[in-house]
Amino acid sequence: MTGRRAAGCALVRALPWLAPLALGCSGMNTPVYFPSPTMPALAVDGVATMDGPPRIENGLTLQFRNPTMQEQKTLDTQTAALGFEVPWIQRDHVHIEMTYQVTNTDTKAGMWNIGVDGANEYTKYDENIVAMTLGMGNNDPPQYIPLIPVTPQVLGPGQTVSGTVREDDFDEAELDLDAIGRWMAPFNAVLINNSQVNPVGLSMVPANAVIPALIEIDVSFSADAAMKCDYDIRVRDDNNQLLHDTVNTLFSPAPMLFVPPAMM
Amino acid sequence: MAALATSWLLAGASAARAQVTAEPASAVVFPDPNKFARGLYTEGEIGAVAFFGRAGDTVSPGFAVGARVGYDVFRWLALQAHFLGSTHQLSDGAGALSGQLLQTYQAALEGKLTLRFGQASIFGEGGIGVARLSTNALYVLMVEPQYRVGFTAGGGAGADYHSLSRHFSVGVRGDYLVMTNLSSSQELMATTYLRYTF
Repeated sequence: MTGRRAAGCALVRALPWLAPLALGCSGMNTPVYFPSPTMPALAVDGVATMDGPPRIENGLTLQFRNPTMQEQKTLDTQTAALGFEVPWIQRDHVHIEMTYQVTNTDTKAGMWNIGVDGANEYTKYDENIVAMTLGMGNNDPPQYIPLIPVTPQVLGPGQTVSGTVREDDFDEAELDLDAIGRWMAPFNAVLINNSQVNPVGLSMVPANAVIPALIEIDVSFSADAAMKCDYDIRVRDDNNQLLHDTVNTLFSPAPMLFVPPAMM
Repeated sequence: MAALATSWLLAGASAARAQVTAEPASAVVFPDPNKFARGLYTEGEIGAVAFFGRAGDTVSPGFAVGARVGYDVFRWLALQAHFLGSTHQLSDGAGALSGQLLQTYQAALEGKLTLRFGQASIFGEGGIGVARLSTNALYVLMVEPQYRVGFTAGGGAGADYHSLSRHFSVGVRGDYLVMTNLSSSQELMATTYLRYTF
């Protein structure tokens, strides 16, 4: 048998193994999608008020299972070794992404804006609370600072635009939320600055801190024309922590609402 | 003088020729299909998978890679197992999920009937199997009433050309399947393959 023919035989004999291999790999790190709570998720009529353009919010809470006894034991060991609490739902193992689609249903062009807030297992961030703080003592329209801002865009009548809030955007937001929730970071400094460009305010966060992932995602949508926004949440769950089976119990933390210092 | 006359006579004689007195008992057919290998075989295939119906509104056609392992019970009948994976992108009809990737993994048991014409043959095949989707994207879009796994059934046809080697052949095929895990949806597989018979 010549070398070329032997190689051909080996290739053809190997092919039947490729499909089962693909089947076996299919369960690896595949995303799970969650639809926005109602369809259409968010819709505004474009009629402005004293508080600015109309604004609507909704969100969803991701359901995770409780740790097994062995997993809890590991968490406790890590907590004792590090000297601070290690979260069950960690940023390194739960990767979140949001895809959205905005449609202008009006007969005029308008500008839309999306902001994303949320909560980890320790802290909940609500931009409305922050806006109230910033607005105290003046009559200006509220200034919203979301955990993840999406760049506002102008959309023509009848047009549709799609976009993605990427996993690295959520990574940054999860670091910011943990910093302001557990490590007393100044919220405006960490939210306005990208930690990879300017890590101002993050000096209190230990270098070996285990960052919790978001377990609740709240989306706000505003526009100065009649528009609607649909979104979906995409989660990659490395360690199979999402609640799938009824035999598992629901992980039900009670995150504390972040209240800016001025209101306390 | 006598020798010279003899050589002159011989030099003038014409060359002797054979004469066919009867046709061969059977004509030689080349190549002889009876000498093609038969029995256990494997196939590797590449091609495309496209969805129709409701799934076709939200899932774009995608690239497919597959393999078959089969056994020729007779020259005209074979039983085979089929494995195929394909990758797709969700189309604009998927709304906010447009652009997301989706893979399908399918396995089926099939029967295959072959009609041979020398080196070429045509065949028909059909079977039942299972299909699994890599994500729940179609479930979120309410195209998939069940969760990610379901049955498939269908069949197709193709053409095969055998090389002068007794082991190798190549061909093209198309299969049309109904997918029970996708509402009112079907799929078309079109592939080209290389077959090796042991």
